[in-house]
Amino acid sequence: MSATAQFWLLIVVLGAGTWAMRSVPIMLHGHVPHPPWLERLLRYVPVAALTALVVPGSLYLKANGAYHAVPARTIAAVVALVIALRTKNTVATLVGGMAVLWVAQWALALVG
Amino acid sequence: MSRTRHSFVAGVKDMLPILIGVAPFGLVAGVAIINAGQGVAESIGMSLIVFAGASQIVAATLFGDHAPLWVALLTALIVNSRMFIYSTSIAPLVSDAPEWQRPFLGYMLVDQNYAAVMTQGRFRDDIDIVPYYVGAWSALFSVWQVTTLVGALLGNVIPAAWGLDFAVPLVFLAMLAPSLGNRTAVGVAVVTGVAAAVLVPLLPMQSGLIVALLGGMAYGAWRDTVAQHEGAAR
Repeated sequence: MSATAQFWLLIVVLGAGTWAMRSVPIMLHGHVPHPPWLERLLRYVPVAALTALVVPGSLYLKANGAYHAVPARTIAAVVALVIALRTKNTVATLVGGMAVLWVAQWALALVG
Repeated sequence: MSRTRHSFVAGVKDMLPILIGVAPFGLVAGVAIINAGQGVAESIGMSLIVFAGASQIVAATLFGDHAPLWVALLTALIVNSRMFIYSTSIAPLVSDAPEWQRPFLGYMLVDQNYAAVMTQGRFRDDIDIVPYYVGAWSALFSVWQVTTLVGALLGNVIPAAWGLDFAVPLVFLAMLAPSLGNRTAVGVAVVTGVAAAVLVPLLPMQSGLIVALLGGMAYGAWRDTVAQHEGAAR
């Protein structure tokens, strides 16, 4: 099989598998039982998911298959967390976090 | 403006700051597909059929590194397995939608519109969830298709040194903060965060993220159960 055919196979199977995972629970809702323990387990999904999306990107960059610490991003994320908790404003958090990232990158480059 | 239209526009508006992070991410995905030895048609096909950013980059990168096809596929599916949990979690909120719409609502589900519905949309009285969600998706989808195409055609037009990809975790952080309203929620964030920090570099096939997510969910359910029993004992 040519590389292009293989890549299209990857696209189609990945697309179908991803569609099934994101659609089946929405499609089955109301047709299968929704027990209280499931409700309880799902209650903190937003908090856990958002944390899982924030933390690795604030600690590491992946290059050539290996994870490297990125202190400038970690510093920026901590400041952004404080801004987010104080202001509860997305734009302020975004602007503040990016500004700190740029300053921290520049400062760490001077030191290192 | 009708309520449906107002809801749709509100969904679009809530995505605007988020798009600042989505655009460089889309460029990277387009570049990754070209670097994997593929062309513009594959880039367009992948963004339309898969429409899930992190998994597109992972699959294309592994494919380009000559990993076995099943490894690229399985890794990308593990990356996307969190969407099964999102779908289970958001299902009650979109259950007003007729049955025929549900497969499409599933296709539209990504991190950003899930997070917007769960942290903002569901607490608003002035909108309906389904059009709000579809509005958020339409903004994400348009920017995703355009930027992956631009990445495939022109390469990364935004210098990587600007670090604009960092806008993605920053926006999720902004959405997380208002949800940290009680001790259990903070505990869930700490458990998930520590687990992700340790497990993401350690576990194979990007599975650290999903293990951290499940760990945080289990911790929250356990704390709620304990609190309920203590309440009953009093």
